[in-house]
Amino acid sequence: MTRTTSVLRWLARTTLIMLLVILGSTVLVRFAPGYLSDAREMDSRYAAGARSELSAEAARSHSIWQMMRNEVGNAARGNFGTSRQFAVPVSELIEPRLEVSGRLLGEGIGLGWMVALLAALFSSAGRDPSLFRQAPATVLLAIPTAALATFCLLADCGGPVLVMALLLAARDFKFLDRALRGAWMEPHILQARAQGVRTQRLLIAYIAPSLAPQLGALASLSIATSLSALVPVEVLFNVPGVGALAWNAALNRDLPVLLGVMLVMAVAVTSSGTAKPQTVEWKQA
Amino acid sequence: MKLRRPILWLLVGLIVAASAIVSMPRASYVRQDRDATMATASRSHPAGTDALGRDRLVRVAAAFLLSLAGAMAASALTTAAAAGIGTLAAFGSKSTGWGLMVVCDVFLALPWMFLLMMVRSAMPLTTSPARSATITFLVLAALGWPASARAVYRGAMQLKTSDWMLYARASGVNGVGIARHVIPNLFHLLVPQFIITIPAFVMAEANLGALGLGVGEPLPSWGGMLFELNNSPMLMQTRRVYFPVALLVLVLLLLEGVAVEA
Repeated sequence: MTRTTSVLRWLARTTLIMLLVILGSTVLVRFAPGYLSDAREMDSRYAAGARSELSAEAARSHSIWQMMRNEVGNAARGNFGTSRQFAVPVSELIEPRLEVSGRLLGEGIGLGWMVALLAALFSSAGRDPSLFRQAPATVLLAIPTAALATFCLLADCGGPVLVMALLLAARDFKFLDRALRGAWMEPHILQARAQGVRTQRLLIAYIAPSLAPQLGALASLSIATSLSALVPVEVLFNVPGVGALAWNAALNRDLPVLLGVMLVMAVAVTSSGTAKPQTVEWKQA
Repeated sequence: MKLRRPILWLLVGLIVAASAIVSMPRASYVRQDRDATMATASRSHPAGTDALGRDRLVRVAAAFLLSLAGAMAASALTTAAAAGIGTLAAFGSKSTGWGLMVVCDVFLALPWMFLLMMVRSAMPLTTSPARSATITFLVLAALGWPASARAVYRGAMQLKTSDWMLYARASGVNGVGIARHVIPNLFHLLVPQFIITIPAFVMAEANLGALGLGVGEPLPSWGGMLFELNNSPMLMQTRRVYFPVALLVLVLLLLEGVAVEA
């Protein structure tokens, strides 16, 4: 299969996934209890004309097919509609929050990877995966994100970045430790060590390139993991990011906002999951 | 392998102890002792009481049993769904397999927490506590199958091309007959999937509850108890509110220990 065909296939699959995400989210929220009720209809400050317009809007959204057509058409034009809750364009709500969440994710992933890599380098130098060295990661993995965030908040130590970093470090440490342990035992590495090649050179020149594909896969997994942790972390730390926006929209059945956020998330996860094989393939070409 | 037996015994011990606490006479997770709100440990309330004067030990025991039972039931459902979908994708027509895997991709393209939150919020938020618990665990079961289905699909595809399968087909064994042989041969995949999913569901319920989207009050749940930690004035009065969280971490450690050993 040529590169162009594989890229086209990936694009077609991603588009199909996006389409199904839009349709699925629309159906789900449309049939959510209380979706068709609008608090503004009972607000006396609205003129009779505005109230009838709201009723007409609600009546239009009774048809699920019409609603789906509108949502898909709007999403294709890059228009996510207007928030029911805040009455402002959804893109205006998402864009500034994307920056906040992006910074939080970037710092969390960076710090988490640094901690995980250092711990794995230290741990893999030992003979066996000892319980003592694995214990912190095991305990951290058993703490729900919300509990970890609450502890940090109550103890007034660390913020959302630390919680995100600890979560990722615990998850990634186990993979990195196992990968590094395997790499150290490779015959050519053992031979190089026996010949007195320095550890630093071994790591940079031999081990890192051989682990590159696995590290790429782990990086994409880290993005998916950190996105899942985004909601409790942002809600509990009161960070005005996409996670908190989605939580708010979910509680208030704000379909346009929810759809916009879901699409952004689906694009992020799909791209991160497929970027790795694509980049490896392009590099090898 | 060495740790599996002690971990299992410890879990069984916790289940027995929790069941004994819940079934003690006068033990109720809803009964309020209005003269002893936020009380410290005493003979009548060994782990103190919460802000509404309810016995914390009974509530923690009930939350543990409810969460474990719910997670196990949801895990059984999700594993059964994964087995059915994975096998159908492997043994069905090419288009069926492709379609089912695209559906898996759709579920996997959305971060777990976002997906859970969206589906849970689309369900009634103000229902009876028992219904909210059922809805929460059903949502977990309904969304947890794609990753397991992918693993089952890979296993079933290997079975499909195996020699004995070819021989069975050549001998004229029909679809039902083949399915009867396929499922037992997938048990080595399904049992670990079932065990691995239990701690994941317990943790997901705790995270959902902490966001106010989990099991409704007055039914006790890990998530509800995490939610309690947001009440800062209460934390100033007693540190016993950390007891449920400590027990939750212990339970998750034990469940993950079982999963790793599996």
